[in-house]
Amino acid sequence: MSLVVLVAGAWALVAITPVLARLLGPRTGWVVAAGLAALAAALVQVRATSGDVTASVPWIPAVDVALRLRLDGLGFLFALLVLLVGAVVMVYSAGYVRSPRPVGFFVLMTAFAAAMLTLVLADDLVVLFVAWELTTLCSYLLILVSGPAAGPPATRTLLVTALGGLALLGAVALVVVRTGTTELTAALASPVWGQDPAFAGAVAVLVALAAMTKAAQLPFHAWLPDAMVAPAPVSAYLHAAAMVKAGIYLLLVLAPAASASPLWSGTLVVVGVATAVVGAVFALQRTDLKELLAYSTVSQLGLLVAVIGVGTPGALLAACLHVVAHALFKSAAFMTVGVIEKRTGTRDLRELRGLARAMPWTAAMLVLAVVSMAGVAPAVGFVSKELVLDAFVTAEPGAVLGWGTVAVVTVGAALTVAYSLRMVVTTLPGPAPTPPVRRADPAMTTAITVTALGGLVAGVLPGTLDALVAPAAAVVGGVDVDQVPSLTLWHGVTPALLLSVAAVLGGVGLTLARRRVDALLVGRRLFPVDGTAVVQRAVDGVIAGGRRVGDITRSDVPATHLAVPVVLVGASTLGLTRLWSGLPDVGPVTPGEVALLVGVAAGVVGVVRARQRLTAVIATGVAGFGVVLWFVVLGASDVAMTQLLVEILTVVVMVLVLRRMSGTFRPVRARRQVVTAVVALAAGAAATVATLALTGHRPLSGAGEFYLRRAEDLTGGTNVVNTILVDFRALDTLGELVVLAVGAVAITALLDARRAVDRRSVPLARTPLVPAGPNAVFLGVLDRYLVPLMLVGSVLLLLRGHDAPGGGFIAALLGAAALVLAYLSAATDEVPRVERPYLTIAGWGVVVAVGTGLLGLAEGSFLRPLHLDVLGLKVTTALVFDVGVYLAVLGVLLAAVVRLGLSPASDRRADARRARAARDAAAPATRTPAEQSGARR
Amino acid sequence: MILALTVGLLVAGAVHLLLQRDALRVVLGFVLLGHGVNLLLFSAGGTGRRGEPLGQGPDPAVTADPLPQAFVLTAIVIAFAITIYLLVLAVTGTARDVAGPDDDGSPT
Repeated sequence: MSLVVLVAGAWALVAITPVLARLLGPRTGWVVAAGLAALAAALVQVRATSGDVTASVPWIPAVDVALRLRLDGLGFLFALLVLLVGAVVMVYSAGYVRSPRPVGFFVLMTAFAAAMLTLVLADDLVVLFVAWELTTLCSYLLILVSGPAAGPPATRTLLVTALGGLALLGAVALVVVRTGTTELTAALASPVWGQDPAFAGAVAVLVALAAMTKAAQLPFHAWLPDAMVAPAPVSAYLHAAAMVKAGIYLLLVLAPAASASPLWSGTLVVVGVATAVVGAVFALQRTDLKELLAYSTVSQLGLLVAVIGVGTPGALLAACLHVVAHALFKSAAFMTVGVIEKRTGTRDLRELRGLARAMPWTAAMLVLAVVSMAGVAPAVGFVSKELVLDAFVTAEPGAVLGWGTVAVVTVGAALTVAYSLRMVVTTLPGPAPTPPVRRADPAMTTAITVTALGGLVAGVLPGTLDALVAPAAAVVGGVDVDQVPSLTLWHGVTPALLLSVAAVLGGVGLTLARRRVDALLVGRRLFPVDGTAVVQRAVDGVIAGGRRVGDITRSDVPATHLAVPVVLVGASTLGLTRLWSGLPDVGPVTPGEVALLVGVAAGVVGVVRARQRLTAVIATGVAGFGVVLWFVVLGASDVAMTQLLVEILTVVVMVLVLRRMSGTFRPVRARRQVVTAVVALAAGAAATVATLALTGHRPLSGAGEFYLRRAEDLTGGTNVVNTILVDFRALDTLGELVVLAVGAVAITALLDARRAVDRRSVPLARTPLVPAGPNAVFLGVLDRYLVPLMLVGSVLLLLRGHDAPGGGFIAALLGAAALVLAYLSAATDEVPRVERPYLTIAGWGVVVAVGTGLLGLAEGSFLRPLHLDVLGLKVTTALVFDVGVYLAVLGVLLAAVVRLGLSPASDRRADARRARAARDAAAPATRTPAEQSGARR
Repeated sequence: MILALTVGLLVAGAVHLLLQRDALRVVLGFVLLGHGVNLLLFSAGGTGRRGEPLGQGPDPAVTADPLPQAFVLTAIVIAFAITIYLLVLAVTGTARDVAGPDDDGSPT
């Protein structure tokens, strides 16, 4: 089986998980576990039959990015860890999860595993980066969905780890640019690393930064304890095999190349050793078992980072083995704490007593995990810690800080022993607690047994791990497998063993003196700042800063918004004099044009001087019709028709709105009149001068000439403007029709959220307008003939649009006009006459247009029209696209007419209806708790 | 020349209305501004050639530039949708935005 199938299988598992979780509930855990175990088996089989293999699927060939995968010793170790620990955690989840449909949890956990698998098998820097970010997202979402209080911790986790993601992006970009390839193996083998110390140093620092955020190293450690709000299975996976191990994997995979820089070793050893000690002290401070374990992870990963920094084959072997050991004991420990919390209701050290009697098996497994964590024989944690100490002791002088470092590491080890013992010395002994603990769940017990006993077996028979760990260390160290020492439990009396004994004695000492240690540490602030608070303050600061920047423009006084464009446009007008090159050649002044100017002027002056609102609306219409005639004169019949229909419909919508406003405008102060008149005249003069100076000086544009000459043979249509809309620039049109659909949604949302202004209407008593029924007769009769005629005309305009004036916009406006006419002919405004699903219509417009666009992919590009020959008729999908335009325009118009057309009285009725609906919706919610408690009883 | 004067006229009227307090006047100002800018777009395509870009084999020497026409056509519809939206905003704000002299005697 190829690697591609393997990774695809993991993602396929993600895809089917939602269905599984819906059908099986928590039992999904067993199925996913089986899936992950099967993938692990397949992985072993691939490795056994083919050794190191690579696979590649083209992805972005233009820049030589591909889904390159590679299975070598290191990838195999981590992939196996990801899959097997994942499988165990999934089994545990089957018992842990209580929600009946845990879709989100299982999907995210499986995606977490798939992302990690992709990461550790990636042989392409871009794929590696994408997978890295996917793990960040998965962990963020897993923390986020764990409860209502998880928001801020999840956000802090995301921000800190995303910061590391940016560092990795920088490193990837540097490497790709400098080595000229995105293929990981080739990039690492490039000679550039040795030749260019600045480059190697920059990458080393960026990679170290990325790994430090992911692996929770000082000073980025705060997110890991923060992430503890997540449930136990998430913590177990995140700490043991997934998230934080991604940081360790990154260091290991880049170590062969990045260690060319002296910065690499120094940074990692200093940061790692400091984190190891500080993390252990923090762990010793905690009374919450989960928090203790979280800081223990910080500390253990510090040790890993430091030993990777040492970089000798022995050190890298120690690192690889410690990754396995840590995965086993940390997952066991987290899952056991989850069980303890489930069964006793607490995870506080000070409250837990008598666990050995109450839950002997669970307690035994906890002891096994703790022994391994403390690094005491015969657990695998002992073997790996021996190797780590040995690596520090035997490192060449100069590579690390010498015996000082060894001493600090030993202190860290002693602290580790102390916090490990602290987990058991007070909690296990004593009488069984009352009330009795809850029953154990077989799934959870299975999971903790597998991992805890695994740690013991691997410790007693470390040779079983040789085949897994040695090749990984060889890959990282760049040596043959033969040169990697083999694993044994007993090395004889070595300096490492003596240090280990010293550490254990120190740890036991600290445990015996635990009252004094607790008094010194628990509840005490060791640092002047708290990591979580620092992150939170940084986040708040950034948001506050952004708000302050935004405040400059946050005002509802139009003048503040208009001032900038007015001043800028005004200033740029002054520059026009330099561009002046005479009047453009636009033909002679004809009486017809002058008449149009006079017509538009009449309209504009009418609007400006109008005292009545209705007068202003009519005068705007006059100006609009003048513009329509201008379009006719300029040879744009399509545009003229559109404008004409828009003018009519604008008046209709305005009239619907007018009855909610007072009939006349309020008088305007004289001073405002003068100021606005001066500004307006200056703006008008500037516009005229700009038009003359900037337009009409060039011949026909190249694009325009192309469309005129080629439109027919390229599209089959002879209406050039329409072919531009639906063929050449269909993406623009798609954007526009989406805007229209959004307009329909916005109008609806606005009128749903706020009621329109309600004005007492002027009483119409004793005017001929009062009897509404007879008044509507004339329009009603006309309507009977005109509406069908207009609808037919609308369809004809749509169909012929490609070759003659018409098209989706115009046709839709005419169709809407027909429906509006039907609406206006109604005798009453109490009932909506055109109750159409306007949002659905607008939505279908977008769907049809996008769907047509996708059809174009068959010809190689989105929105490319297909030309078909159906029974001798030439058909183009551009027509279908135009139908989408039609629907979107219709949707926004119907939304406006239906929603604005109702009378204020029906508004009030709608309000009452909504209030009733809200009451009905709220009522069952108040009933539910009672029902639930009844059911529980 | 006359077209440029028309543009200037429409912009002057639009700016005057946009600077008013009343919401309907602002909307009408927006409508006029849309007209002015659409004519400016036409002017950018050159207004010496005024033949319709229709039919078979239009002669580029006398036919109007179709590109600004396509721009203006969609611009009209979009401006229309925004006009509707502005009208809805005008009546969903405070009653003061669309008040008359009877509602509150003070001038604006």
